[in-house]
Amino acid sequence: MKLRQGQFSFLPDLSDDDIRVQAQYAIDNGWAVSVEYSDDPHPRNTYWEMWGHPMFDNPDAAAVVFEVNECRKEHGGKYIRVIAFDASPGWESIRMSFIVNRPATEPGFRLVRQEGEGRVVRYTIESYATREPEGQRYA
Amino acid sequence: MTEDADTDAPTRPTHVDLAQSFQESGVRDVLRELDETLIGLEPVKSRIRETAALLLVDKARRQMGLATETPTLHMSFTGNPGTGKTTVALKMADLLHRLGYVRKGHLVTVTRDDLVGQYIGHTAPKTKEVLKKAMGGVLFIDEAYYLYRPENERDYGQEAIEILLQVMENNRDDLVVILAGYADRMDRFFASNPGFRSRIAHHIEFPDYTNGELLHISERMLAAQNYRLDDGARVAMAEYIGARRGQPHFANARSVRNALDRARLRQANRLFNEAKGPLDADTLSTITEPDLRASRVFQGGLAVDRLDGDRRTGQAMSQAAE
Amino acid sequence: MNDMSSNQTIADGKKRYSAGVLKYAQMGYWEPDYTPKDTDVIALFRITPQDGVDAVEAAAAVAGESSTATWTVVWTDRLTACDKYRAKAYRVDPVPNSSGEYFAYIAYDLDLFEGGSIANLTASIIGNVFGFKPLKALRLEDMRLPVAYVKTFQGPATGIVVERERLNVYGRPLLGATVKPKLGLSGRNYGRVVYEALKGGLDFTKDDENINSQPFMHWRDRFLYCMEAVNRASAATGEVKGTYLNVTAGTMEQMYERANFAKELGSVIVMIDLVIGYTAIQSMAKWARDNDMILHLHRAGHSTYTRQRSHGVSFRVIAKWMRLAGVDHLHAGTVVGKLEGDPATTKGYYDIFREERNPMALENGIFFDQDWASLNKMMPVASGGIHAGQMHQLLTYLGEDVVLQFGGGTIGHPHGIQAGATANRVALEAMVFARNAGRDIWNEGEDILRDAAKTCTPLKQALDVWKDVSFNYASTDAPDFAPTPEVSM
Repeated sequence: MKLRQGQFSFLPDLSDDDIRVQAQYAIDNGWAVSVEYSDDPHPRNTYWEMWGHPMFDNPDAAAVVFEVNECRKEHGGKYIRVIAFDASPGWESIRMSFIVNRPATEPGFRLVRQEGEGRVVRYTIESYATREPEGQRYA
Repeated sequence: MTEDADTDAPTRPTHVDLAQSFQESGVRDVLRELDETLIGLEPVKSRIRETAALLLVDKARRQMGLATETPTLHMSFTGNPGTGKTTVALKMADLLHRLGYVRKGHLVTVTRDDLVGQYIGHTAPKTKEVLKKAMGGVLFIDEAYYLYRPENERDYGQEAIEILLQVMENNRDDLVVILAGYADRMDRFFASNPGFRSRIAHHIEFPDYTNGELLHISERMLAAQNYRLDDGARVAMAEYIGARRGQPHFANARSVRNALDRARLRQANRLFNEAKGPLDADTLSTITEPDLRASRVFQGGLAVDRLDGDRRTGQAMSQAAE
Repeated sequence: MNDMSSNQTIADGKKRYSAGVLKYAQMGYWEPDYTPKDTDVIALFRITPQDGVDAVEAAAAVAGESSTATWTVVWTDRLTACDKYRAKAYRVDPVPNSSGEYFAYIAYDLDLFEGGSIANLTASIIGNVFGFKPLKALRLEDMRLPVAYVKTFQGPATGIVVERERLNVYGRPLLGATVKPKLGLSGRNYGRVVYEALKGGLDFTKDDENINSQPFMHWRDRFLYCMEAVNRASAATGEVKGTYLNVTAGTMEQMYERANFAKELGSVIVMIDLVIGYTAIQSMAKWARDNDMILHLHRAGHSTYTRQRSHGVSFRVIAKWMRLAGVDHLHAGTVVGKLEGDPATTKGYYDIFREERNPMALENGIFFDQDWASLNKMMPVASGGIHAGQMHQLLTYLGEDVVLQFGGGTIGHPHGIQAGATANRVALEAMVFARNAGRDIWNEGEDILRDAAKTCTPLKQALDVWKDVSFNYASTDAPDFAPTPEVSM
């Protein structure tokens, strides 16, 4: 299973140069770029761990690649994503989000069904990885 | 999303026209500007011309597939204060940008205080922050030898040095580092930090300005602010430069700038006290002999130790335009 | 009797209100010197008077009939502040290159309208006046809605920004598909299409406008199977997925029942049709805001009154009303697909959906500056005859905040629905990637797609099948003003 979150998950994995070019697009638009990592890829896990503050003052995206690689040194076995924040009025939220690092194997999600009345089934999905405590997932 | 290099290999040129790329890259313009705006500094200018030529040729060789590695571009600028190191660093950043060796071409100027923290754990983030800001451009570390304090073995400067060395090696495509400072101290710094020595490819020495050059500089500084020296003042200024050079903390063009700042202050004071009736533009723009002669420099220099050339470190030093 | 040859307002009260028939202009509905107030509602009509009817009188008549007037003088006007309540036609311009047609600008005092009610606004502006005999045809082209009035509406229940936050999708258009065939699939078969399309890479699937609760598939059945498909696809991809469950029904009570069931099943979105009417739309928008649901509106029926240039209501006005009414998604044309819409006019619609402020842009059919007073933005939906091979054109024309719906372009893929969905998603991501990397996607689009197809067989197949499909017909509703000084048509 390949986690399909983010704006480029159907493309081949991004090279460092690809990451730089995309992050530069964000910087040139005036957006702050941030690196985040997680070992819980549930689609509604909104808050991945922040790898430092969003980068507000870096004119060149090599800084982003630098931080991605720093993050990989410590969290290379987890998911890492790059996101871009737009502070302009009427938006004030995320503009870009793409995955730049994945665990070696992605076990995916279990779909849990709970049968109820009137044929109603309640669904919940759960990452197989989260059966282990945080920090001990993905080997 | 790596491009498929095998199927779409770019066709390599069989010939290059160096004169044309010299022209088109804008390098010619930068060098001409350097010649026109900077007085003196002939050895520096010729070193920069050599560097530019080397980089142009390197670029051509890479286009033809004769070279692949990004050359080491980190530099050291050595010389006394006020000899134009920051100004030249700005031009160098522009030059490297036009040649395509750095992507943005901005200059980030720092000193030890910007890189080294006071408490444990502060240094690495500070140094990395600075390096990230400088990426795409040039990082200018003024008085770089202060990073290394052998007398204190737990000094956090060492941590900054290690990170700097790592980034200078691994991120050669992303930024160029210029270490600057006095020649003698820089020599000692390199001697005890061979890591730096080996990563610096270009050493450029900035000689002191001659007295004649400094007089020329003083007139150009004044002209930029719509002031001028009258004949008496010009003679006084020449004498001032000669005297000042023999006194402590002489800082070349920076000393000249400071002297002129004080002369303008005295001129204003004089006009305010003496003027009777309206003043014309010429009077308002002229520095006269007494405006300069009142300087302590002519009495052997006392106040200068406080007002001028104090070898201040940190912001004050790095911000002073030379 | 009064002099019927003049367009001058009759100031003398005794004369003005004596029994009989007056020209509308004389009754005070034509005020060429009037400067609209910031709080006035302004409407721009395209009027085509009957032969022999003066354009100014026709404009005044429209102002009268859409506000306080009746066909004859009534003395009871004098019991009211009637000068204030009379709508005022204040400007009449001939339409460039269209003989016999005029643009009439009419200002309405804010007190003529009940706040927060599209029904009340439209009852005045398009209530009686469209059947008025002295006019051959009448079209409402645009409206300026004052901030004071805009603020009486809820606006889109969710808005583009929060929709993206809820879906966890940023930086690219959303992808959808309408389940086909429109009619006849059983609930079980219908859910299959939903599952395949979502697993293949789409964000949304969609019920069509006429899928409600028919003998071949009752609504509960559809909802149950669709939500199983949505959750299965979500588990298979790790993404938030949705399907627009159409809750359109015969009564409000039934719609609430269906919407609540959709919510209970965990759907992120429900859908309604424009034909349910303005009040029902506003009710559903309020329900959607209260229940954290995205509200999709299918503009079923709009072409009956939006398509013809001379008569009806422009879609840009419908778009403004829907932004006030509070829907999140609304179909707005594709430019390149099978349904009506030229690029300049479509840009005007998209701006109304997505901008905080619309400056006047005659070349896009926008006649007034419009401030949206921080009302949420609507997500435009582009659907109808589009396919992966047009991705560069779609991204260029429509931008990033749009749902691109490839119905046939997904389900009609020779290697199945999943392959169709994947082809669309890969084409989209490759195009966004190339745009961000600074490539000229308009001119290099086909190369970019071909390169992306090297590592994606489904995309290659899609490009081969649909390479020659395009819909190049002249538009029936192009703007009247060209961006250049010469007016071209």
